[in-house]
Order: sequence, then C-alpha cells, then structure tokens
Amino acid sequence: MSNLVRNPIRIVWRKELRDAIRDKRSVMAAMSYAFFGPLLMAVAFYVMISQLTDPSDVEIDITGAEHAPALVEHLNSNGIVERDKPWPAGRQPIVLAIGESWAEDIALAKPAPVTLTADFSATKQTGDLRRIERAIEGYSNQIAFIRMQMRGLDPRVVQPIELVKHDTATKGSRSAILMGSVLIFILLSVFFSGMNVAIDISAGERERNSLELLLSQPLSSHQLVLGKALAASCFAMFGGVLSVVLIPIIFRFLPLHNIGISLTLDWTMMLLIVLMLAPLALFATALQLFVSFRAKSFKEAQTYISFLLMLPMLAVFGVEFARLKNPILYYLPLTGQHQALLDIIKGDSLQWLPIFISAGVTAILSLLIIRYIGRMLASEKVVFGL
Amino acid sequence: MIEVTGLRKQFGEVVALDGLTFTAPEGQITGLLGPNGAGKTTCLRTIYGLLKADSGHALIDGIDASKQPLEARRNIGIFPDKFGLYERLTAREQVAYFAALHGLEKQAGEAAVQQALERLDMLAIADRKATGFSQGQRMKVALAQAIVHSPKHLILDEPSRGLDVMSTRILRELLRELRGQGTSILFSSHVMQEVAALCDQVVVVAKGKVAAQGTTEELCAQTGETALEEAFVKIIGTDEGIAA
Repeated sequence: MSNLVRNPIRIVWRKELRDAIRDKRSVMAAMSYAFFGPLLMAVAFYVMISQLTDPSDVEIDITGAEHAPALVEHLNSNGIVERDKPWPAGRQPIVLAIGESWAEDIALAKPAPVTLTADFSATKQTGDLRRIERAIEGYSNQIAFIRMQMRGLDPRVVQPIELVKHDTATKGSRSAILMGSVLIFILLSVFFSGMNVAIDISAGERERNSLELLLSQPLSSHQLVLGKALAASCFAMFGGVLSVVLIPIIFRFLPLHNIGISLTLDWTMMLLIVLMLAPLALFATALQLFVSFRAKSFKEAQTYISFLLMLPMLAVFGVEFARLKNPILYYLPLTGQHQALLDIIKGDSLQWLPIFISAGVTAILSLLIIRYIGRMLASEKVVFGL
Repeated sequence: MIEVTGLRKQFGEVVALDGLTFTAPEGQITGLLGPNGAGKTTCLRTIYGLLKADSGHALIDGIDASKQPLEARRNIGIFPDKFGLYERLTAREQVAYFAALHGLEKQAGEAAVQQALERLDMLAIADRKATGFSQGQRMKVALAQAIVHSPKHLILDEPSRGLDVMSTRILRELLRELRGQGTSILFSSHVMQEVAALCDQVVVVAKGKVAAQGTTEELCAQTGETALEEAFVKIIGTDEGIAA
C-alpha cells in the first residue's frame, strides 16, 4: 500500500521542532534559563568569596601605642592598624588600650595589661576581634618562649599536647559543597528549558483546536505523543547542553582558587554529563506532557507545570541539604544523575553500573509515561473533556 | 462507501445518537442536514473513530474505525468541526504535514501539496504563515489538508461556514469534481441552500435519528411541499436551529 506511513514519529518530531524553533518565546525560555541560572549563581559565589577572603586591614583605635612600639609593629604586620578615620555611624568602636606600665611589666616579667574594648556580640566584627585576639596571643607566646629559653627551659614543656590537624578535604571535595548547588542548576535546566514547548504542543494544540484533526490521522496516539515528547526533549537538551557549556566558562571568571576550590570539567566529563541529561530530558518532558495534555488551555497548563516543577526542585534540594546518603538514590531518576554529577565534581571515581541503571530506569519510566499519555488520548473523555 | 448502522451514543443523560442508519455511496454527495444539536458532529466523529459508539457501527469501505482506526483513517479526508492552524507554519507546510502523516513525503508529497493548493486557488497565500489568515483562508488550508492525500472518502463538518461567495464556489466545484472521481462525500450542514445545491442525497437528522432520507425532490414529494425548506421544517417539526 503506497499510503503506508513509514515513520510518523519522525514526521511529528520534525514538524514540532520546526514549529518550536520559530516560536521566539520558547527559544528565549530555553536560553534564558541556561544563561541566567549560572550567572546568578556566579554573582552569589563572587559575593561569598570576597567575604570569605577579605584581605583588608582591621582598623582599630589604639591608645598608648607609644608604650609598646614592638607590639604595635607586630599587630601591623598582622593587618591590624591604627585607625585614622572616624567610625561609621552605628558601628561600635574597637579600642585597644596599652597600659603605661607596659615596659616596666615586661621587664619584670609581670602580666602587662592590654584592654580590648568592643561590642563582642556584634556579628559583623566577630572576625575582626578574633584576628586581634589571635595576633596578641601570638605576640604573648613569642615573649613566653623567649623568657623560658633565657631561663634554660625548653618552651615545649608548656605545650603538652600538639594537636595535629590533618585535613583530608581535597580541592575537589571542598568544592563539592559549593558546586552541589551549581549541579542543581544543570539538572533543573532540562526541566525548565523544554517546558514552554511541552505546553505548546499539548495544551496549545487543544487551545488552538487542532487536536481533533491530528488525532484523526492515521497514526497511533502513542506515536503522536512520542514524536512530540522527542521534540520537546530536544529543546530541554538544548538548554541542558547550554548550561553545561556555560557554567565552566562563567566560573572561570571567579577567584575560586582564593578559597581553595577548583572547578575543572574537561570535555569528556562534559560529554558524560550531557549523555546523562538525555534520558532526564525525556523524563522531564514526559511528565510535563502528562500534566499539560490534561489542561484545556496554555494558562491552565502553566499553572499545573509550575507545581510540577516543585517536584524535581524539592527532590534535588532535599537530597542536597539533608545530606541524604542512601544507595537507592544512585538508581532513581533525577537523584541518580544528581549523585553521578556530584561524583564527577568531587573527582571521585565514577560508579558506572548505577549510572547505567539510573539512565535505563529514567528512560523506561519516561516511555511508560508516554505510553500512558497515548492511551489517555485514545479516550474520548480526555480528548473532548466529557 | 460509508455505512452507518444503528449508531447509538449517549453522553450522560443526553442521547446524542439514537439508532442512526444511512449510507454514503461512492461517487455521490451525501448531505447530513439537521438543526444544531441534532447529533451531526457526534455522528461524524464516530465514523472516523474519535468517539466510540455505545452500539451499532460505522464502516468505511467495510472497515470499522473503532476497531482498526489507522486502516480506516488512511482512506478518509477529514474537515473537522473545530480546526485550528499552526500559526507559525506556512499554509504549504501545514498541508505538507498532513500529507506526510498519510505517507506522502519528498517529491510525492510536494507534488500532492502543490496540486491541492492549486486546486483551492491558494498559491498566493501558500508560503505565508497562518497568522493573520482570514476565516476563508483558514478554511481553505483545512480543506487542502483534508484532500491532499486524495482520499476515497471525504467527511466534512459544516465546510462552508465563514466562506465568501468565491470560496463557496470553489468548494462546490471541488466537491463536484471529487464526486466525478468516485469519492464518497459526506458532509454535514444546517444550511438548506447548500444542501439543495450540492447533494445527491439528503439525510435529515433530528434528535439523533434519521427523520427522512432521499433526494431533494423525494423529500419535497414526501411532504407535499415544493421547497426543501418547507419540507425540512415539516420533517423535523420545528424551524429552530436551521438556516435558510
């Protein structure tokens, strides 16, 4: 039969893709998330890094500096300097007062009083105060050691315990804590980028009254839904790939090394991430089509989908912040990809079996949802809203 | 040939089709005439398998669309009750989409699309996007979609609504030409003039049942009236919901 339709899925896919690419709103939606998500992230990181590594001097009032020039010099070399500007309004002044008897007390080996006056509850100044205390303690220790050596004692007798801190955090694992939130952006990009297309090809089809004719064509509703889902997935992947490519580029401009973090993704890793996103993109669009095929209009579908978007966000943020550790997370859709991405970022060895299983589970679940939507569209109740 | 036998369909309490029986033979134009809400659209939707009848069946060349929907739909062209266009596609692309769904791709598809566009005198708008099309132009695109694969059966739901005089003439010529080629054409209408001008056979539907069946002359003779309009009012017992 010459009329035999060879591959309706491809025909539907091609038509929907062409239609969607011409829709500026869909293209913008896919791109803007991939652009602005990482950019927003980068700004937040930038602010955080500059706060963590604030190298500026602590400026305080020092009275009686003339009594102890060596101490003041020690403080200066530790970034604590005498203030020459007035304190800003609302800020409690920090005053370090060196007693007149300093030289005498030091000479007689008596404790020399140094008074630090400040509002110790002011969180903004906590870091500053700690630096001052540490600097003075350091100076105090220096003098103590010299005195003991002069008396023929090993200074180590007053240091019975030496606490050795062995930091096992690699550069990668330290960054994982921060990069976890970046990953969430990559994962969610496939949920956001294809959303507009998914609504347009389902609820939109109903809204513009083209669904009835389409369902009366010689292709099964399952083929129709699969073609549409693949088209929307392409858009989701477009956004996903864009964010995978953009995130390392944007983060190159951040002074991550200042806080001992490195984010390097080589091409093979990026390719692997993209491959892992592919079944997730299909899963995201299948879920979105499922809700928006039930909606009667674009607006209604948007409402449903915004609720639906909470699901992956809750799942990923939940795992991320509750620090859930359960092997099953490696095998489920979304959390499986999340865990694998975490391993990649941390530089841990990859667990290939869970990666393949979670990809398979994601793909199979997506196809089941698509099949269910196909069955839904064969029902006159759903199609005509009876 | 389209054969409808004892079709019954109920939506909740409402009986939309109540044992509808008629045939639309090859090479003939069969008009489904009835007031609004008589069950015309329900009947057509059941024929191409979008609705499932509670009892009875509708056969397209012996194929039941509720059992073998894809086979049945390959042989029909549909102009539905509600048709919407893809605003971002050109008229040609829309028609090509439906041609492709019927297996006409590449050269065969292009040729079929070109022929349909020419036939409906729409080459001037063929490569424009559908946004901004007039109602008449939209109807033409929908018609082109229905005939692009040269179906043996053509089912049209109120095809002349919103058409201007020129477009109506093109539609009528098209239907007569297709009839000449042996297509069985079934169309619904509540416009009397159109049915009188076109149909070889009129099926008057009221409350989901066939109220009368025959040529225009036969219906007039049955009721003893000279004009179809009077005959129609007499048959369905009211003039509600019809247009002259």
